[in-house]
Amino acid sequence: MVEPKIIGFLCNWCSYRGADTAGMARMKYPPNVKIIRVPCSGRISPELVLRSFREGADGVMVLGCHIGDCHYGTGNHRTAKRMPVLKKLLEYNGIEPERLCVDWVSAAEGEKFATLIREFTETIKALPPFVEVIK
Amino acid sequence: MTDRLPALQEVIGKLLPDVDGVLGLKVGPAGIVSPHLFVKDLADELASLAIWPKEPLPGTLKIIQKAHPDAKLAIVCRGCEERGIVEMAKHYQIDLANVTLIGLQCTQEEAEFCRCAKPFTVHAQTTIGTPIAGVPDTLTDEFAALSREEKLAFWKEEFLHCIKCYGCRNICPQCFCNVCTLEDETWVETGRLPMPQPAMYHLIRSMHMTAKCVACRECEETCPAGIPMAIQFRLIARDVKEMFNYETGAEIDQPPPQLLVLEEGEYERTGLPH
Repeated sequence: MVEPKIIGFLCNWCSYRGADTAGMARMKYPPNVKIIRVPCSGRISPELVLRSFREGADGVMVLGCHIGDCHYGTGNHRTAKRMPVLKKLLEYNGIEPERLCVDWVSAAEGEKFATLIREFTETIKALPPFVEVIK
Repeated sequence: MTDRLPALQEVIGKLLPDVDGVLGLKVGPAGIVSPHLFVKDLADELASLAIWPKEPLPGTLKIIQKAHPDAKLAIVCRGCEERGIVEMAKHYQIDLANVTLIGLQCTQEEAEFCRCAKPFTVHAQTTIGTPIAGVPDTLTDEFAALSREEKLAFWKEEFLHCIKCYGCRNICPQCFCNVCTLEDETWVETGRLPMPQPAMYHLIRSMHMTAKCVACRECEETCPAGIPMAIQFRLIARDVKEMFNYETGAEIDQPPPQLLVLEEGEYERTGLPH
């Protein structure tokens, strides 16, 4: 079984700190997610997600602060508006929308972070590799 | 179609003395229809006024307004063109204060040709023809009923024919950015045809058409490969209606969802966890 490749875009202020919390508490989660730290989840344009798929990622995670907790005020509102549309677009193009995971993880939610990664890796493992789907 | 033309000529003729120009369609020497600015000094030109095939007039209006910001203009617009003008005004591309809209209602055949859901104008001060009800978009509905694998195969087949002429972007009344993402090598690979899958060009364009596409179908009309790309835009428009309660070009005062800060209820409708 080929290990899936997952790209995780984590917001610097909440989700990345959440990953730190998970690490500090020695929580175990699969090593498939390659984490990229970004200033804000609102930075993640649909182009970035699509390019990740284009380069062979099997799944993409976009994690940000909970609505109302954004370091920049309304940065994650952008994520909340554009990512559901991107999911729909993937669906209309015949790509499983499950390959894109959007969720909110605060700095204190190490447990949630580990669970999310565990569940998402399982979801992606159940799907065929993306390069074979799109071939 | 014949009875609307004289009525339109009469309306334009009456309006010409009060405005600097009326933008409409004109039959050229070889029978080719193209956008034309009718002015009062050359009122005879009205004899060669045309209404079909439709051409993207809002884009031409924008170019004229950029060159002559104070000109008082009028424009002959169908339902889709009116929506385009409203949407462009929201993005500060057209100044509605200096524009008089002359609404041209589409006939049943024209609406069926465009699979148009709204073949009538709403905001136009003067209207010509009788408004008819929208036509169901069977092509989009048929596509929506396909399974995931079939959808993938459908677009693979369609995008295979794409020659990346950028015609759909150039004709689009809503594509007005000075710097275009589709010309950026970071996102759209150049020099490879057929374009590698997933088709970044079309996916990015669909994404950028969210809450902007006014369903004028100019992109499909202009496409040399006949790719029915408006299917994606229309499906997304339905989702945008559901998620943000926003219809492109419907209300002049309603801010587009790009500018929204989500309130509690709106945020839940997008289907994200919270």
